[in-house]
Amino acid sequence: MEDNLLIWKLNHGSADALCRIYEKYRDDLVRIAAGLLNNMSVAEDVVQEVFLTLVRSAGRCEIRKNLKGYLTTCVANKIHDLNSKKSAQNPVSLDDIEPAASDSQEPDQRVACDEEFENVYKAIAQLPYEQKEVVVLHLQGRMKFREIAELQGTSIKTTISRYGYGLDKLRSMLSSEVER
Amino acid sequence: MRLADEIKRLVRDAKVIIDPVVKRDALKELIDELEKSETNRSAETTPSVWRIIMKSRTIKLAAVAVIMIAVLLGLPFLPKSMTSPTLADVLAKVEQAKAYIYKMNVKVTGPVMRGWPMGQDMTGTVTISKDFGMKTEMEMIDPNTEESMSQEDYIIPDEKLLVMLMHEKKQFTRTELNDDLVARMKKQNNDPLELIRGMLDVKYTELAKSEIDGIEVDGFETTDPTISSGTTGDVKVTLWVDSESWLPVLVEMDMSINEQTRSRITFYDYQWDVPVEKSDFVPVIPDDYEAIFEDMEWPEMTEEAAIEGLKLVADLMGRYPKQATIVELMAEISPIMFKRIKKDHPGEMTETELETKMMEAIQPVYPIGLFYMTLVEDKKEPVYYGQTVSPDEVKAVLLRWKTSDDQYRVIFGDLSTMDVTTEQLAELEN
Repeated sequence: MEDNLLIWKLNHGSADALCRIYEKYRDDLVRIAAGLLNNMSVAEDVVQEVFLTLVRSAGRCEIRKNLKGYLTTCVANKIHDLNSKKSAQNPVSLDDIEPAASDSQEPDQRVACDEEFENVYKAIAQLPYEQKEVVVLHLQGRMKFREIAELQGTSIKTTISRYGYGLDKLRSMLSSEVER
Repeated sequence: MRLADEIKRLVRDAKVIIDPVVKRDALKELIDELEKSETNRSAETTPSVWRIIMKSRTIKLAAVAVIMIAVLLGLPFLPKSMTSPTLADVLAKVEQAKAYIYKMNVKVTGPVMRGWPMGQDMTGTVTISKDFGMKTEMEMIDPNTEESMSQEDYIIPDEKLLVMLMHEKKQFTRTELNDDLVARMKKQNNDPLELIRGMLDVKYTELAKSEIDGIEVDGFETTDPTISSGTTGDVKVTLWVDSESWLPVLVEMDMSINEQTRSRITFYDYQWDVPVEKSDFVPVIPDDYEAIFEDMEWPEMTEEAAIEGLKLVADLMGRYPKQATIVELMAEISPIMFKRIKKDHPGEMTETELETKMMEAIQPVYPIGLFYMTLVEDKKEPVYYGQTVSPDEVKAVLLRWKTSDDQYRVIFGDLSTMDVTTEQLAELEN
């Protein structure tokens, strides 16, 4: 209910409501975007774009499902768009165009995280995009498989399979990290 | 090999380090964008609000009628227990009269509401028949133009009709009254002197004998605000009755309409048991009079309509009205509505057109005051917290009233409703 009221107030130009929505969800959205992009500054830009779109739609914004789910979907769609544009410019696979999770990345582009999570983000970055998307949106974005399937335009079964493969790969990568 | 659950937890818990400077700057950009789009947006978003508002058809004068009737007839909507033999005697005498005429003067000092077209000083004659209805003929001077205006209003309960004739403009309106209002009017026999019954039910004092126009009179006075059914602020009602006939000679009401406005209403020159006919209460509308805004409906006085009104106000102002009494409500909302309309129609309308539009727009807000008035009249002990409760206070009590000995109905800050016990209410209000 609180989110509905925040949206209602935002629709009436309330800066307080905007601040509350921002404080409530911005960090999580950046985390999700960072997981999907493996690039901190692009992740921040994407999230900012999503908030800017929300602000510009104030006055006519109608959110029927939960606000976090809505914003997470917006972030995922934005990244899809970004990847599509890049893909159109350079006809290579999605995974090819993502920055590799390696030390060769510019320091300010890497996902800024505590040491304990560094390997996690590196591992996530190695996943094929569709698998990465399911894993991140489900585990970090708390999105349901049905919602992710809608977003990916696939069946729930495919989405769940991608999640299973993604998780297995992460398990393999992170275990070998530890064992090394 | 790590367990799948451990991997899930690692991914779920993986945090990124947020740069507070980037975050702060990004938020500033959003706020700037919001302010920028607010300027551009007001014209775009307003239609959605006005689409809701404009569904209700009404006119400026009908808007005034709502307030006038609420204020004047709000007074009669009072319970009828009798505790004083003296005042009860007066009441018994009045009740014997089937029809009577009296004069009325209304003086208003200060603004009632934006666009209020009545003069500050109105004088008229009221004819009341317990069988046929009520007729009011008023003369007033428009303080802005100094032009004289005359208006005839007919309330015909059997036909559920309010007819208003504006003679100078050669216009008339017909407003259908809703069942709730008619039932209340019938119950009270259209009788503004129900205030005597009201006085019987509140604390009043007997005044020393006096003399009016050579007639010895007895006086009764009350300052109990419940006598005005929540339609006004503080109030003082003084009733003077002929010591010999026990019939009223003069009634004076002094009441605050809002913080800057007071109203003084005097009823005098009573003629008792005058012969009247049904035709006296049938409006004669000259052929050259134009019907304006036909099919108007009296605002609903229900909980649902009041909630809709509250929603609209919250939508418009981002908060609830501070007071639920109809005159204070109108005084608060009308200037805001006016500004809004003026902003939305820059240079397109005259001041009068803007005021008329504002009167139309304000129509859906009436049910808040009217519903609150019925709660006071029905002794349901309403308490309204519009001054402190905002729309985002989901579980704060905005308005509550008694529905039985230990049950209350509550409208919350988010406009949801609930029936609660006395204990639950105490907890909610704590």
